[in-house]
Amino acid sequence: MDRESRRRLEEFRREAGPIENNVIDELAEGELSRSDFIKRASMFGLSASVIGSALAALGEAPLAFARPEAVKAGGRLRLGIIPPPTHPIEPILFFDQGSLETGGICGEFLNRTTLSGGLNKELATSWNPNKNATVWTYKLRPNVKFQNGTTMNADDVVATYKTLTGDPSSEALAAFKGVLSPDGVVKVDNETVAFHLDSPTAAFPYLTSSTTYQAIILPSTYQKGSFVKTAETTGAFKLTQFTPGIGAKYDRFTGWWGGHAPLDGVDVTYYSDDAAVAAALLGNSIDLIGQIQFATGRPLFGNKNVQIFRARGATHREVCMRVDLNNQLHDYRVRQAIAYTLDRPAIRKTLFNNLADLGNDNPFAPAFASTDKSVPQRHKDIRKAKQLMAAAGHSKGFSLTLTTEQVGEIPQLAQIIQRSVRQIGIKMTLRILTETAYFAGSQTGPPSGWGTTPWLNTPMNITDWGSRAVVNQLLIAAFESKGVWNAAHYSNKKVDRLSKSFLGAISITDQHKYSKQIELQLLHDTPVIIPYFYNYLAAGSKKVKGYKADALGQIYLSHTSLS
Amino acid sequence: MGRFLLKRFGLALITLFLLSVIAFSSAQLLPGNVGRNVLGGFATPQAVAIYNRQLGLDRPVYVQYGSWISHFARGDLGESLEYKVSVGSLLGPALVNSLKLAALAFLICVPLSILGGVTAALRQNRFTDRAITITSLSLTSIPEFVTAIVLIVIFGVALKWLPVTAQAPPGSGFFVQIKYLLLPAFALTLVLFGYIARMARAGTIEALDADYTRTAYLKGVGKTTVIRKHVLRNSLLPTIAVIATQTGYLIGGLVVIEKIFNYPGIGQRIYIAAQNKDFTMLESGVLVIGVVYLVATLIADILYSVLNPRVRLGGEAE
Repeated sequence: MDRESRRRLEEFRREAGPIENNVIDELAEGELSRSDFIKRASMFGLSASVIGSALAALGEAPLAFARPEAVKAGGRLRLGIIPPPTHPIEPILFFDQGSLETGGICGEFLNRTTLSGGLNKELATSWNPNKNATVWTYKLRPNVKFQNGTTMNADDVVATYKTLTGDPSSEALAAFKGVLSPDGVVKVDNETVAFHLDSPTAAFPYLTSSTTYQAIILPSTYQKGSFVKTAETTGAFKLTQFTPGIGAKYDRFTGWWGGHAPLDGVDVTYYSDDAAVAAALLGNSIDLIGQIQFATGRPLFGNKNVQIFRARGATHREVCMRVDLNNQLHDYRVRQAIAYTLDRPAIRKTLFNNLADLGNDNPFAPAFASTDKSVPQRHKDIRKAKQLMAAAGHSKGFSLTLTTEQVGEIPQLAQIIQRSVRQIGIKMTLRILTETAYFAGSQTGPPSGWGTTPWLNTPMNITDWGSRAVVNQLLIAAFESKGVWNAAHYSNKKVDRLSKSFLGAISITDQHKYSKQIELQLLHDTPVIIPYFYNYLAAGSKKVKGYKADALGQIYLSHTSLS
Repeated sequence: MGRFLLKRFGLALITLFLLSVIAFSSAQLLPGNVGRNVLGGFATPQAVAIYNRQLGLDRPVYVQYGSWISHFARGDLGESLEYKVSVGSLLGPALVNSLKLAALAFLICVPLSILGGVTAALRQNRFTDRAITITSLSLTSIPEFVTAIVLIVIFGVALKWLPVTAQAPPGSGFFVQIKYLLLPAFALTLVLFGYIARMARAGTIEALDADYTRTAYLKGVGKTTVIRKHVLRNSLLPTIAVIATQTGYLIGGLVVIEKIFNYPGIGQRIYIAAQNKDFTMLESGVLVIGVVYLVATLIADILYSVLNPRVRLGGEAE
């Protein structure tokens, strides 16, 4: 370790708080791998130089910065987005892939989740917690211009977050409910905002990142409904034209704080058919596809003119089983039996050509640093499944309807489940709805009920879940008793308590302690089957340079160029 | 002739009225709540009720119908519930796109099919006839999405002769637009060729066997003149009727072709509107297609009456 690195690290540790010092201690004591250390250090706002000094001081390989590729400026990227947005483009209402991709090209966040799961600074230059992670203070980037010419300040960030957490129609409530309330968003000075949380949340910086895709920073004067009419974001590109269902056009924003984006602009075409978008790339009608599925995009894999972009993450499907109905699924042994019929490695091979991690019926994806990996993986075991069915008094099986949506590979997964449970005598009927019909109706959430929407009320269903950089939202929304997206209507006070402890835990050791208990409890109760967490995939022609896939599907083009 | 046209026009208006009632009623029967769909799952029941009231959806159905149809008649198609812009601004370009594709498909398909059908009839029971009949029947029986994908793979991906998407870049000239539309137009031609060619063949065979054709030959009229003046004029009558009935399909029924070639036509717009419960777009879209279909049928009737005096003089002869 060189003297300069030691000096910088010691200087930092003298001035840093207990949380930051704790992260460095975790690396020193071998509790964190190098990559997990980088993720956690960026989450707690440690600068690149401090992270580099810590790695050097503790004998790890230094931080490597990729040499920037020779970038050719100019040209317009032709981008295919599938499926098209299904609602007006309004950030706080984003919940579908087409909308978040369309808004994300021109929008920016306080920070951005990276491909490796760390956090990059964007409109905030630093974020620091108090000692128990109940207050997070963000320093904003100075001299950031909105595309309408005004300068971004704390008022804009406060207004954006008060809307995100206070508007009853905000889809961001799935991330912030129980974590942050409108009154907790406080302006400290013109360039500083403090978030006073409802409960301690160690991973809060991830919730302000691109992973909460509704959290695009907008001017305090922003009027709902004007997103596609007036360019008012801060990104490298400004939205200049939007034709519903057909496409969008973006031009370079010359006042971007990040400098000069290589591309002159982006021309988006919306597609609603997988074969059409794949053919468009192969036929050189577009340069990049925002999202592809292995099952429907097979011609693209192995094609010498196509490059596949991968992002390991937590995108998954939840097979939810209502625990509160007076039927066979009420018995945890039946739910376990169904889970034991699935041959997960075979499913992963069939549906994703192994571009996925195995799921273990809990939301802790293998990609998360907080996941306790010592919990045994659930495997196919028909003998055990039959024993469980007999113990529950259903050795002869029963009939059941599985409801789901026509999205990606989900219908194939439903058929696999249907075939699998036949081995234990369950006659399963499939009810496959359009995406719109599946999510139609109200979803008011507990305590007033889960509304009328099929995805939260049918006895057994499969729902698509996007990736998140941390497990928080997946845990709170789907597994806590008052979770707004708790489709299994699962309620376990022990899990609620453990979840609260987990979310507030600062050290990785404590996080592992709580995650292990949650994982084991969910394996036992099995309100939800999660067979896999698949890689997010995008595809582009070989002339696309500097593009990286995002596990959540954000299309970040500020540093992308065309050769 | 005038009386005939007036009668056809009156019937068209009645059909249009019935279509508007069916379109409006069908949209009402679709499951789901407009306010809930627009405001999202988290909106309170009160907010949903207020939104529905603002749209006038709490009024009796016949009042809603009256309001909608009177606005439609004045050219006001309302506002899309899904996109919050005027339906006219979305349906207008989509209709133009569909008309462009339909026109090109017609230009390629109709002459080819008639030529094929007439040639087959003139070579009846010979190799040419069998080749045309079997090929056309085979092409008709292949679903259009299969034909389309095969064409894309061969001409778009492998040979790279033609673009695989049908939508030309904004500002493209006439010939560039034609180039982009060629593949979907070929796909449609292959689907329709068999149908129209077989009708033309059957009509021609019937006309060749007719007394007036025999009489013409006996009078010493040359073969070319007999075919041109007596056979074709009579044999094409049923073909025109068939072509007219395909207009509705070509304008509003090309959802699959539009999806595969990612072409923003009116069929796809209506399909998405039905999926997303965008009632205003759905109702107006169906009615617009109905209007186009009736206009096409009316034109076919006029053509039919020009070619066949028995039709236009039928009433007077009685």
